[in-house]
Amino acid sequence: MVFQFLPAWPPQFSETMRIAIVLVVAGLAGEGVARLVRLPRISGYSLVGLLLGPSLFGWFSAADVASLRIVIDLALALLLFELGIRVDLRWFRANPWILAASVAEACLAFIGTFTVLRLMGATPGFAAAVAAIAIGTSPAVVMRVAAELRAEGQVTQRLFVLTALNVLYSVVLSKLIVGGMHGVFRSDWMAAVLHPVYLLAGSLLVGTVLALAFRLLRRSFDLADEQAAAVLFGLLLLALSLLQALALPTMLAPLLAGVLVRSWDRRPHLWPRHCGTAGGMLVILFFVLTGVTLTGKDIAAGGMAALALIAVRLLGKGAGVALFGPRSGLSLRQTLALALALLPMSGVAFLLAEDIRSLYPEFGARVGAVVLSMIAVLELVGPIAVQWALKFTKETKEGPR
Amino acid sequence: MGVEGFADSRPLTLGIELELQLVNSHDYDLVGAAPDLLRDLERQKLKMDVKPEMTMSMIEMATGVCDDYNDALGQLTEIRDALVTSADRLNIGICGGGTHAFQRWGERKIFDKERFNYLSELYGYLAKQFTIFGQHVHIGCPGPDVALYVLHGLSRYIPHFIAMSASSPFVQGDDTGFQSARLNSVFAFPLSGRAPFVETWSDFGRYFEKMAATGVVKTMKDFYWDIRPKPEYGTVEVRVMDTPLTVKRAAQIAAYIQSLARYLMVERPFRPVEDDYLVYTFNRFQACRFGYSGTYVDPRSHEHRSIAEDMLQTFERIEQHAIELHADGACRALRDDVVAGHNDASQLRAAWRTTRALPEVVQGQCDRWRA
Repeated sequence: MVFQFLPAWPPQFSETMRIAIVLVVAGLAGEGVARLVRLPRISGYSLVGLLLGPSLFGWFSAADVASLRIVIDLALALLLFELGIRVDLRWFRANPWILAASVAEACLAFIGTFTVLRLMGATPGFAAAVAAIAIGTSPAVVMRVAAELRAEGQVTQRLFVLTALNVLYSVVLSKLIVGGMHGVFRSDWMAAVLHPVYLLAGSLLVGTVLALAFRLLRRSFDLADEQAAAVLFGLLLLALSLLQALALPTMLAPLLAGVLVRSWDRRPHLWPRHCGTAGGMLVILFFVLTGVTLTGKDIAAGGMAALALIAVRLLGKGAGVALFGPRSGLSLRQTLALALALLPMSGVAFLLAEDIRSLYPEFGARVGAVVLSMIAVLELVGPIAVQWALKFTKETKEGPR
Repeated sequence: MGVEGFADSRPLTLGIELELQLVNSHDYDLVGAAPDLLRDLERQKLKMDVKPEMTMSMIEMATGVCDDYNDALGQLTEIRDALVTSADRLNIGICGGGTHAFQRWGERKIFDKERFNYLSELYGYLAKQFTIFGQHVHIGCPGPDVALYVLHGLSRYIPHFIAMSASSPFVQGDDTGFQSARLNSVFAFPLSGRAPFVETWSDFGRYFEKMAATGVVKTMKDFYWDIRPKPEYGTVEVRVMDTPLTVKRAAQIAAYIQSLARYLMVERPFRPVEDDYLVYTFNRFQACRFGYSGTYVDPRSHEHRSIAEDMLQTFERIEQHAIELHADGACRALRDDVVAGHNDASQLRAAWRTTRALPEVVQGQCDRWRA
């Protein structure tokens, strides 16, 4: 018998093949979107995700997203850590109005979405769960668009700080509400108190360990080195595995770690250059995958409700920023731009909804439906809003670097 | 279209202008925060002179008319403190230094104001390259002819001013080997360099009219000379200094120039001649490149000595005038630095050697500025 060296026909392609094609297609789409219509690249990635997802071509299913969740987690951890480093706690002492604006925009966004949901007949628990998620601005969108435009200035700076803070509020509040659900659904009030405490204390602990590790890394490597990037990726993955093993949320610890690093060491922490390339690949996959999670069904189900929620969320955030913007040193133009730039919602919201669903599938599915339909709209509109805001205030840089 | 009349000013009063860098607190690159900072200063409702400059990452602060060193230092400190308060509210850094260590000139944006837009149109990329930061010192003169005498008299001390203020060793991310690389950018302008050798205000008026008739200049502002008369203030203005890293050093340098001016006005130690300028650009280059250890060629004896030696001799010669002006403490401090070989450029290089990171060098500049 002749040794069968030819492959079976038709050939069987592995998982890698699909990811490879996604990277190529999404990369091209991002570039196309940036050159032809001058929109942020990530809008292109999300669009590809939406097209390849279950609702249209069905190239990816929800199960695939679950299996690639580590990519989402890692990309987000990287961005959240970097975001945390941009938060300088000393600024709040010199200008407390920044904190005031942050609390105001978060509170008003929460109150606004909560009220609208109640008016639509939602239960208080449901309304609170969705409103807590709606507080957060997408750090991924904000960081990527600002990086793409090489933005720097008052609006960019405050956008980073307000985003870091509202993500923090959003995650903490969401976990408190999950605690409350233990009480409501299981009448386990012990767990209602202890679970959130465990999640927050655990996150803080892992965050501290990560920050200490990063300090060691800085001491032994020049951050511009290729090895530094590899070790940093390793550290973040390690932290993520630790968080997962301890059943802790993956979003809080990297953010807290970044903030700690900055407050311990006020030297500039320039990001390893090589994180750019590898990180860029993660980011493409991240946005494609969040795009995949959206289905036409979700968008239709959310429908008008989602649009109303988005509008009232924007209004709440805008009012909060406007209340303290000028007093904190912004011009009217900058205030307006900042209010709009807080619009994006993406990965963090998705993960928070997922976390609720994993604990309370039926309730979580309903929360997820509303949140996903909001994300569906903001995934595409959000990056454009941020881009417009940063260009409107002339904080972008041109020219080659 | 003649040159304006020379205003009255109290002789030997002082005025100091400092151009400052605005940087972000993330990677310490320049940031276009001038409008933000000016807006926030208004909120503080203090009466002080802070103006925009050519590009969005620069501002200029200026004292009023000062009597002496202490007055100048007091005024500078007051403005400095107000600037630092506003900068902290905006989470930006503010610092001295003649150049930013690693900014890219192509990323600069012109401050939206009629004159700056005109200059940008005229000079093209030179306008953006002009993101450099200098100290200007005004000395009140009793009349225009005295002002011209002081102008030509001071021109032989230009290397001193450069060496003691030098704070621009890094340009566009590299060590230039210069102590003051900033002046190389000034040289690119067609109307830079030295004032013409005229000794009376009527001759100066004729020169200005001839230049204006060519259409090359419209106002005195179009001349970027190292020292120029400033008729509307009744002063001569020395413009070769880098902005020092601290207001204290800025005030000391001003006090030194003031003492020299008094020495020239009172003693009239020499009559300037055109040939004094034969060595002018050579001496100027030596000071920019090597600082205190550069070669100084005496314009009269043609003797070669180090700039430091010439400075030490000068400190001795003008000591009595410094004492009269209460500037002797300031001059002594400068003298000690010359002996020790210290200036801001050497400090910046030392910071680079320990940190190996230019952003950290700039961060150090911000810390120095507020101290």
